[in-house]
Amino acid sequence: MTAADVRDWDPGDGRISTPSTTRAAAWSADALSQPAALPPLAPDRGLAAPDYWAEVVEHFREGLVVCDADGVVRHVSPVAERLLPEVVPGELLAAAGVPGLSDGRPGGFAHRGHRLTARQVPLSGGRCCWYVEDVTESVSRADALLAERARSAFLAVVGDKLGNPLHPDRAAAAAVRLAVPTLAEVAVLVLAPRLGRARWWRASRADDEAPLVDSGVLAGGDLPAAIAEGLTGVEPHAVDWLVEQAIDAGWLPGLTGTESTARVVPLPGRDAPVGVLLVARRATRWYDEDDVELIRAFAARAGAALTTALLYRDQAEVADTLQASLLPVEPAETPGVQWGTAYRPAQAGLRIGGDFYGSHQLPDGGSVFFLGDVSGKGVEAAVFTGQLRQCLQALHRVESHPGRLLRLLNDSLLETTMAHGQGRFATMVLGVARPHRDGGLTLTMAGGGHLPPLVLRASGEVESVPLRGMLIGVVPDPRVGEVTVRLAPGETCLLYSDGVTEARGGRRGDEQFGPERLFNAVTGCERMPAPALAERVEQVTCDWLAHGDHDDIAVLALRAVGPSGRPSRHLHAVPAPAGTDQRKETPA
Amino acid sequence: MTAPTTAADPIDAYPSYLDCLADADEYAAIDVALGLLDAGVPAERLLLDLVAPAQAEVGERWARNEWSVAQEHAATHISERVVAAVAVHANPRPTGGRVVVACMDGEWHALPPRLVAEVLRLRGWQVTFLGASVPAAHLVSYLHRNDAHAVALACALPMRLPHAHRMIEACRRSDVPVVVGGRGFGVDGRWARRLGAAWAPDAPSAAELIADERTLRRVPPAQLSHLADDEYASLVRRRAELIDSALADLREHVPAARSYTAAQLDSTVSDLGHILDFLAAALYVDDVSLFSEFVAWLVGILTSRGVPAAAVDLSLAHYSAALRDFPRAVHTLALGRAALAAAGAPTAR
Repeated sequence: MTAADVRDWDPGDGRISTPSTTRAAAWSADALSQPAALPPLAPDRGLAAPDYWAEVVEHFREGLVVCDADGVVRHVSPVAERLLPEVVPGELLAAAGVPGLSDGRPGGFAHRGHRLTARQVPLSGGRCCWYVEDVTESVSRADALLAERARSAFLAVVGDKLGNPLHPDRAAAAAVRLAVPTLAEVAVLVLAPRLGRARWWRASRADDEAPLVDSGVLAGGDLPAAIAEGLTGVEPHAVDWLVEQAIDAGWLPGLTGTESTARVVPLPGRDAPVGVLLVARRATRWYDEDDVELIRAFAARAGAALTTALLYRDQAEVADTLQASLLPVEPAETPGVQWGTAYRPAQAGLRIGGDFYGSHQLPDGGSVFFLGDVSGKGVEAAVFTGQLRQCLQALHRVESHPGRLLRLLNDSLLETTMAHGQGRFATMVLGVARPHRDGGLTLTMAGGGHLPPLVLRASGEVESVPLRGMLIGVVPDPRVGEVTVRLAPGETCLLYSDGVTEARGGRRGDEQFGPERLFNAVTGCERMPAPALAERVEQVTCDWLAHGDHDDIAVLALRAVGPSGRPSRHLHAVPAPAGTDQRKETPA
Repeated sequence: MTAPTTAADPIDAYPSYLDCLADADEYAAIDVALGLLDAGVPAERLLLDLVAPAQAEVGERWARNEWSVAQEHAATHISERVVAAVAVHANPRPTGGRVVVACMDGEWHALPPRLVAEVLRLRGWQVTFLGASVPAAHLVSYLHRNDAHAVALACALPMRLPHAHRMIEACRRSDVPVVVGGRGFGVDGRWARRLGAAWAPDAPSAAELIADERTLRRVPPAQLSHLADDEYASLVRRRAELIDSALADLREHVPAARSYTAAQLDSTVSDLGHILDFLAAALYVDDVSLFSEFVAWLVGILTSRGVPAAAVDLSLAHYSAALRDFPRAVHTLALGRAALAAAGAPTAR
């Protein structure tokens, strides 16, 4: 920027304060960085100064100090006299020791409690004139504006980071991390005690690095008095001993009592505070009224985030417990049978759905197995599957013949649904697997209106098992299909829900997967272990869906592996299929 | 059936382990692995020097059409059982925080992240492995319910990158640092950097990165300003229409395509869709090499299965004409066709 650029430049505040056409922003240092480039005004235009000239000069906002070529002060205008009383005509300007006037550099400086700006303009005959202005007011206004802007930006970041529902521990850690360094060098957040124990998180600044966060637990009775007071919703005001308390609690590494300042604010919760926030920093930056306002605004956001997180956690704990009881139970290890399962509920956020499968061992070495689908979706359907599984768990002890067991189940469900006045029903395949000495299995299956199972023969052939029957839970004495299938060692029977065959996908996302594609997908898979086969069916179905919505998907595969397939030591060395543990946590 | 080996070095045991996979002999494979552990081979070395390279070889054999999908699945299942057996054998007491390991939504290659999960567990982290194809909603709800020190996400196919990005963002919003891995992010992780995610080339690096929370959190932001041209979004919107027209074009120029069986038609539609998905992913991360690499790979897959790759060029040319208003897509397709020619496939037009 050259001097020419700033000519006629009006800062926009409506105050034109110099007689020349040259004007720069009062606090803009670079606007006049080249004062020498200004051509001196014509020294003498042949006009004598009018009588009132002194009066005009006196009313300039800027004070004038004129020095001769030797640097001796020759004239001081009344405004300059007020601003710079040490500048005396007849003495060297440098002798006055005013910082901003000695080095010839323009810009602002502090003097006697005022913010001044000074610029030097060369005059004819080696003289020069200093224009000195008091900008205390405008600078403080600009500073206040910048500070306000910084506070808004800070709170916007805080809102962004804490605006999403978080796990309570993460919300607490995020809050202290955000507080450093803007609000504090050390920030400690103490949650309201739960069961007599108060957890705390602390962030402390480590040079230019991201703040370090650690956490710990205190017994409710060991809390510093100010923290306990804050937890009742009162903001403690005795700031001096606050620091001592925090240091006694071991929370302020690197800060000492005499040179630190601290504040405590409650984090507003639903009724009582959800916790308190302690902020501390070196006393070189005292917490003024604006700072405290900012801390309170921050505390309001942190409190809201924590309240939401705790509320969510409490509800999630309940939901988790209920969901866990409704999840399909993985079949227990059974001699002669290798189980494979896959389960994908329609709602990804929910881990449960209207499909179900399971197995129970019979005293004679066989096992009951089943897979089915209840009407409806979501939580209500899942609750019904829970009732159904409990029924089966009890009934298989009195009846192990699949057809009769299915009819018993039908009667029991009818009774329940009539009592509740709601028409819930299910389709299912229920069977009993009995191992043979040769390693094969006999499957006796009963069908209640469910899709026909597939059998993967050792020859590579895939058979559809003809199994019909009526819906379960609709009429008192339903027709139940029955069939017996013999599996040779290495052969597999596959049960699946309609979430597989009715999956809508393809080019336009509206074409059903259909039994044909399922048939093709399992063709050539006769040597696959049952878990791999079940996962393959799940994968092929989900690939077909390509992120589209889907119904619940459940797959159950039984493979005849024989009891003596391998030395037994390896069987107990590998207690459960790899996926089993995780599957319980995973709705996937 | 393969006789269990007594070799005390994973590298020496590799051939016989691979034979166990080829025979789908779960028990023999576990014998080999446990034998090595008994001989004093550290569990981490066993996983990284035996199971991981064997799994890579399984993938290669599938790509060369030497193994069927069924064989590949069976071998993968056996490797998972081996990992489970190793996990039972070496069960250190957890000292670190919780780390969640998951496959991206739509991603079924679960063994590599499973190995990462086990290496992390061996190094003292409490690991939750969420398995294959984890929906973002599920991962987020897990993170709401359980505090996690970090999330490790795996992606084997670059065409899942747009979904991967959404998932990474979902974790970020839960304030949990993310580390990503897998071939889907490019051999050097360049697409992870584009998405603003910390990337680890292998399990040990992932473990080191997770132990260093500051580095994990100090990730430069995503560079996706190119998405403003709307090419990615338009391509996704027009996906079905483009596949339809490409199929019609194929039927017109390749007579054999008119008499495809239902299964052949499905796999053609699926290939046409994959071309678009990879193109979309290339547009998403603004890197033409993503698409060229895919084309070269696709040619290898098709050629090994006796499918003439000329049809691929026909479809690329068709997409190029249909997308002529999208300069980035046209440029990407042109380089894809060049890669096709370089891979030795005859060009169509």
